[in-house]
Amino acid sequence: MDFQFKHKKISGILTILPHKSVTFEDEMANFNFSPAKSMKLKIAMGYKEHRLAEIGQTSVDFCIYGLQYLFDSGLLSKEDIDAILFVSQSPDYFMPASSNIIQGHFGIKQDCLCMDINQGCAGFEVGLIQSFMLLEQPSINKVILLNADVLSPKVSPKDRNSRPLTGDAAAITIVEKCEEENTIYANIKMDGTGALVLNIPAGGFRLPSSPETAIMEEDAAGNFRSKDNLVMQGDEVFNFVQREVPPMIEHLYKQSGVNREDVDWYMFHQPNKFMLNKLADKLGVPREKMPANIVENFGNASGVTVPTCISYNLGEQLCNQEMLLCMAGFGVGLTWSSIMMKVGNLKFNKIIEF
Amino acid sequence: MKELLGQLAEILEVEDIDITKKFTDYDEFDSLAALTILAMLDSDYNKTMKTSTIREYESIEAFCKDVLA
Repeated sequence: MDFQFKHKKISGILTILPHKSVTFEDEMANFNFSPAKSMKLKIAMGYKEHRLAEIGQTSVDFCIYGLQYLFDSGLLSKEDIDAILFVSQSPDYFMPASSNIIQGHFGIKQDCLCMDINQGCAGFEVGLIQSFMLLEQPSINKVILLNADVLSPKVSPKDRNSRPLTGDAAAITIVEKCEEENTIYANIKMDGTGALVLNIPAGGFRLPSSPETAIMEEDAAGNFRSKDNLVMQGDEVFNFVQREVPPMIEHLYKQSGVNREDVDWYMFHQPNKFMLNKLADKLGVPREKMPANIVENFGNASGVTVPTCISYNLGEQLCNQEMLLCMAGFGVGLTWSSIMMKVGNLKFNKIIEF
Repeated sequence: MKELLGQLAEILEVEDIDITKKFTDYDEFDSLAALTILAMLDSDYNKTMKTSTIREYESIEAFCKDVLA
C-alpha cells in the first residue's frame, strides 16, 4: 500500500537510552554454548554491548523522562501538542492506553488525540505514516511520536538467539506541518500469516501467565525460554527480510523517482549486523551508506533503532543541513514499511541517557 | 556439487565434508552455522529453506541434491 504526503516534516528527534550497559561477555556464561562458539556468534552478528533498563523502569518512564527534558530545555511546548502516538509492544497496562497516561502525567490539553499502536520493528515508519495522516486534519499541527520498548524483562537470559541483541530505548520524534513542497513517499505491507514468527506466547488473554507458562524449556538449538518469554524464529525472520525488503525498496525507488545513488543515507531497522550487511549487498547499496552500528553498541530496541541510528550517526549535522533518507522497518506482524523523505534543519537530534 | 561442498566445509570448519553424514553430526553445526547456510542459499543459489529442514536432512548428499536440483 503506497502513501504520499506533502507539507509535513520531522522537526526534532530525541533518543533516550538506558544508562546501564551490559557486554556480550557479561552474559556469555548464561548460554548453553562453549565460549569459542559464542565468540564466533559475537563476531558474525556484531554483538558488543547493549543497553538495558533497570528493573521496574518501563517504556512510559523513558518517554516521560525525554518529554520532561524537551520541556525543560525549551525545545517543545506542551500547549503545541495536538496528538500523542505511543508505538510500543511494552505498554504499562492492557488498559488504559499508555499515551493517555503520558498526557495525564503532563496535564496536556484535552484537545489532544492519544493513540497507542502495537508495532515493533517497523514502528518508526508506521508511526510516521500515522502522524502524517493525522496532520492532514486542520486541527492537528503537531504530533509527538513516541517509539518506546522495554522488552528485556520478557527475554530469557538463557536465550542466545535473542538476549544478546535485545536493547531497551525510546525516541521522541516531533512531526509537524510545514510550508515546503517536498513530497514524502511511503509504503506499508503486512502479512498476518506470519504473525507468530515473533511472539510472546503467554501473558495476554489467549494464554494468561501462570506457573506453567513460567517453566523454562530447551529448544532444538540449546536455548532455554518459557512461554512468558519472547520467542523469535530466526530463520523465518531472516528469510522474510531477504525476500520482502529488497523488492520493497526497489518499489520505493520507482514510487519516488529517486535513484539509489541519490539517497544520502539508508536508515534501516537493525536486527543484527549480519542481516543488515546481507541486505545492503542484495540492494547494491554501499555498506557505509547503511549504518549497522546500533545493535553492537546499544542493542535492538525494535521500533527505536531507526531514530537511534539517525541520532547517533547524524547528530548535530542534521540540524544544519538537509539529507535524503531512505528509512525502512521490518519485523513483527509481519510488517514491512519504508519511507523516502528529506530530513534536516532539525531543532534537535541527539541522544540522552536515563 | 564440489563448490557447494567447499562452502559447507568452510562454514562447518572442516577439511572435507562426508556427504553420508547429517549436519548435526558436525560439532560446528549450530544456529549460527545454520543461518550462514541460509544466507548462502539465498545469495548464491536463490533458494529458501528453514533451519529445521537443514537440521533434519538424512544426509548432506540429500541436501546438496535438493539445492542443486
